[in-house]
Amino acid sequence: MTMFWDDVAVGPRVELGSYLFTQDDIIRFARKYDPQPFHVDPQAAGGSPFGGIIASGWHTTAIWMKLATAHRVKVSDGEPDAMISPGFEDLRWLKPVRPGMTLHYSTEVTGKRALASRPDRGLIITTNEARDYDGELVMRFTGKVFAPRRQHGD
Amino acid sequence: MMDSPVHFEDFYVGQRFTFGHYELTQEEVFEFAREFDPQAHHLDEQAADDSMLRGLSASGWQVGAIAMRLCAEHLLNKTKAAGGAGVEECRWLKPVRPGDILRMEVEILEVTPHPRRPVGFVKMAWNLFNQHEQVTRIVTTPVIATRDAA
Repeated sequence: MTMFWDDVAVGPRVELGSYLFTQDDIIRFARKYDPQPFHVDPQAAGGSPFGGIIASGWHTTAIWMKLATAHRVKVSDGEPDAMISPGFEDLRWLKPVRPGMTLHYSTEVTGKRALASRPDRGLIITTNEARDYDGELVMRFTGKVFAPRRQHGD
Repeated sequence: MMDSPVHFEDFYVGQRFTFGHYELTQEEVFEFAREFDPQAHHLDEQAADDSMLRGLSASGWQVGAIAMRLCAEHLLNKTKAAGGAGVEECRWLKPVRPGDILRMEVEILEVTPHPRRPVGFVKMAWNLFNQHEQVTRIVTTPVIATRDAA
């Protein structure tokens, strides 16, 4: 069932679930995508300003996508619409993610923008977060997703 | 090939670095999508052909991660730099397809010395190209680099 841009409401915040980062997981991701010493080498990481292995920021955001996708499958009636995005803004990795940490992820629709060049679709603006056990903000970004607009007859 | 910058002083505004030759396989696209972004337009050719992107494409998050990989390997691991803290803006300009060959052009946008400590901040644009055109532009938040103590 298609979710139209016209029908999307701003707010409230939606919890997407949580994810435990293990050391093996962190190193496996980083070996492939972010081979900086403080992501892949426990000994080198110990001597770095971080004082130990930390997850790649791109790993933290990939897990947001994993949980957001699973959430859409769970709440949609049938096959969920594709999330196709032109990009994102203001991504911040605010606290290091260490082995054994569990992050809690959320998303919230914070705005909508019509597209002058494309009357058949609009943009949905979201604020997305990961917080630690104490509720402190670890990662945030502003997301953008395309959604189809209602045409006459829809 | 350029000399690699090492310290903060080695960076200047307008500097450019070109590197990387990353051949993205279909298996890698599927592997990333299965784990992190299991949507039909990344995993199923038929669904992908019917989607807005008209054919199989890699997850944008995988494209960002590949950009990170290229910069870590060819630039950041050779410098006295201490990790990035974010992205001001990422634009996925074109779909990245299985079989694409990706290369990076980094552009230095701002260099700002710290007023007191022996470090500085380097803001970069990561321009990722496939064999035809630019596919992604990522503007980082300023990365901390150590100043030359000598």
